[in-house]
Amino acid sequence: MRFGIPLEERIEPGNLGCQGCGGALSMRMVLKGLSDDTVAVIPACCWSIIDGPWPVHALQVPVFHTAFETAAIMATGIKAAKLQQGKDTTVMAWAGDGGTFDIGLQALSGAAERNEDIIYVCYDNEAYMNTGIQRSSSTPIGTWTTTTPDERPETRPKKNIMEIMAAHRIPYAATATPAYPDDLLAKVEIARDLRGTRFLHILSACPPGWKMGSGDAIAAMRAAVDSRVFPLYEVRDGLDVTITRWPEHEVDPEAYFAMQGRFRPLLDDPEELARVRRLIDRQWETLVARHREHHPEPAAG
Amino acid sequence: MPDLSHVDDYPEIPVSLRSSRGVLRTGDWRNMRPVLAERVSACTHECPASVPIPRYFHHLAAGRLEEAFATFTLRNPFPRITGRVCPRTCEAGCNRVDREGPVSIRDLERYLGEATAGLPHLPSAEATGSKVAVVGSGPAGLSAAYYLRRSGHEVVVFESQPEAGGMLRYGIPEYRLPSAVVDDEIARLQAMGIRFRTGVALGGDLDLGNLEDEYDAVFVATGAWLGRSMGVEGESLMESGLDFLVASHDAGVRPPGRRCAVVGGGNTALDVARTLRRLGAEATVLYRRTPDEMPAIGEEYRAAVEEGVAFEFLTLPRALRKDGADLVVTLETMRLGDPDDSGRRRPEPTGDDREARFDAVYSAIGETASLEPFPDALKGGDGWLAVGPSGETKADRVFVGGDLATGPATVVEAIAWGRRTAEAVNERIGGGYEVPDWVAEQGDGVVGPTDINPATFPDTDPHHAPHLDAAARLAAGMGEEAGTMTDAEALAEIERCYSCGYCNECGTCFVFCPDVAIRWEDGPVFDYTFCKGCDICTTECPGHVILTVKEEEVARG
Repeated sequence: MRFGIPLEERIEPGNLGCQGCGGALSMRMVLKGLSDDTVAVIPACCWSIIDGPWPVHALQVPVFHTAFETAAIMATGIKAAKLQQGKDTTVMAWAGDGGTFDIGLQALSGAAERNEDIIYVCYDNEAYMNTGIQRSSSTPIGTWTTTTPDERPETRPKKNIMEIMAAHRIPYAATATPAYPDDLLAKVEIARDLRGTRFLHILSACPPGWKMGSGDAIAAMRAAVDSRVFPLYEVRDGLDVTITRWPEHEVDPEAYFAMQGRFRPLLDDPEELARVRRLIDRQWETLVARHREHHPEPAAG
Repeated sequence: MPDLSHVDDYPEIPVSLRSSRGVLRTGDWRNMRPVLAERVSACTHECPASVPIPRYFHHLAAGRLEEAFATFTLRNPFPRITGRVCPRTCEAGCNRVDREGPVSIRDLERYLGEATAGLPHLPSAEATGSKVAVVGSGPAGLSAAYYLRRSGHEVVVFESQPEAGGMLRYGIPEYRLPSAVVDDEIARLQAMGIRFRTGVALGGDLDLGNLEDEYDAVFVATGAWLGRSMGVEGESLMESGLDFLVASHDAGVRPPGRRCAVVGGGNTALDVARTLRRLGAEATVLYRRTPDEMPAIGEEYRAAVEEGVAFEFLTLPRALRKDGADLVVTLETMRLGDPDDSGRRRPEPTGDDREARFDAVYSAIGETASLEPFPDALKGGDGWLAVGPSGETKADRVFVGGDLATGPATVVEAIAWGRRTAEAVNERIGGGYEVPDWVAEQGDGVVGPTDINPATFPDTDPHHAPHLDAAARLAAGMGEEAGTMTDAEALAEIERCYSCGYCNECGTCFVFCPDVAIRWEDGPVFDYTFCKGCDICTTECPGHVILTVKEEEVARG
């Protein structure tokens, strides 16, 4: 085995994710890094469905389904109850980008501000995929969704949730993607062993929503990292930035966009594409500068 | 403890307590399925002996030395030998060649050879009662003897020289292949029960007809040892390059003078020139074409240049004469014309002559086989031996091979021929050795550079076995120029291998399956009850060992 990935599973075979679901893979990998004594709190999102219909479910840990805006506060409450029972259970809120960037932001901000002892995972597929591909504030510029159709595609940049979370000065926030499994597992283990609010932002491909073949899901997530569209990094205590993967072979962002049908409007608009390229470059430069602040020696691989 | 009595007043909430495993049979969604389909790696395809390279790498990396040795010797009994002298066509075929350079397959082969030098050969099959004579103990003869013995035959190897090994012992210089290695390998063959009779030559003490009467089959692989004639004036003043190489194995051999020339551009010519340098002489290679047309192995040419061998290209000796102690050679400058039958541009005379003075001139323009011991009945219309693809001749029980059949070729080609002939002999007289199931199960397709997915492999520069630099090589005289990788280097180098066409249990498919539909049982097992046919495992498999097939094709069978 070329990967340091535990064989142990905490999810049953047979879930209701679509073929090639990045969100299902993210859950599988994150649970590998946690213990059996974990509770998952899932607000409205794809995973409300993926886990299976009552009376069965796919996760081997308890799942608490909750309302869209309540993942963080429900996790907070369950953690408090567990502590009342004298149990130090890991409580993980598991929400999509809609439930994190948009609808659940207030509850998440409150929990983070109080530094509640929870792990909050946002598996980000960059739109409301479960309800049929409506844009969220995580949807990137130039993207087609059913609410940003070809003639009026998304015009605003993807909200930077990591900066918002870092601004709460929580102990740990990190980006990850299952295309780099060892990096993802390492971050889950760091989060597991810390206390306070820990935030993982996991880019998770959605083949139907991204308009691509399911077999290319991993390749797309990998290209997102290697094109610096979605850099892999972590932020400790809201300030100390470490880039955890320096792309070995830079992929042209355009190649990443071209893998997915949802970026067709962007690829058809050279001006917008140039703006996106500048944005990617500026974001990367800012990140590198912050990394160097924290790691004064020249950046290495 | 707080008062929790009001909890009972809350309404019930639905709770899912059953696993989805038995209920959500997501395999029903599938219209395509992944299957493991092992095929031939590009390196194996380019190997004349078809050594299953990724497969033995996998055993080596897992520390399974005996399995690695058994896997290798299925196709080539002598990793210690080819691990030193092989021209590495495998590495040219390696699908990593355009990244940081190919996997150092030959260095790993040598590592395998040294790591398993103390192992006995695999046990032979039950005795067949048949007897096979092998005439000639070079790589073709030894390889055939090995596979014939492994097949359960009684095998006797005849050798005209005082010691067995043929070209391995006498032709290849010590600095590339020490005689001690050849000694060990012959001892290991003797331990299998192969008998050697040295100092008996075909056409002398041995008669082909008698051998045919006495043995159930005869394999003749006596090599190509006759120097070709150049047909130039004063040719008798030249010495044989091959004879010099044979003599160079004796300690104390000295070249006749300081200024030496070697005529030719093949491996023998370069071996002679590099040996001359090690014995303290100057060496100038005279070759009638340019470096691009040289038949010698490229790395031999580069090593010769490093060692200070001078090259005069587009140069052809026209005449030799004695002038006191000097040999005066008349050299004509050539130019390249149109391609000849070999596809190389033909040298043409320009009429420009010059003279050069040497103390000795060696001829190494290619060797040819002696057909003297063979009856006319075995020859074809061209006067040469009529030879089938596995060494079959016009006589039922006589087979030929190696350089005798091909003209001067490489050790690995001779080894491959020896095995082919052993199999042809088995077909004719019965007998055989056990072949693992994977040989029959493996598909024919070759996994090429567009099939693989190297995305999960980091950039890693190749690791190489230690190799003396040119000055150290010359200082070492005839001492061996290369060494063996360390364990750590070998393991790191094996990690660079994409394992094209062979499942080396890398785990990529398992790791990336979103549906927990690949069980890991020392390798992937597809669980078709749950596999949705998303195609991720097929796409991500680095070595393209997983294929996707349509369910309707599976149903048709």
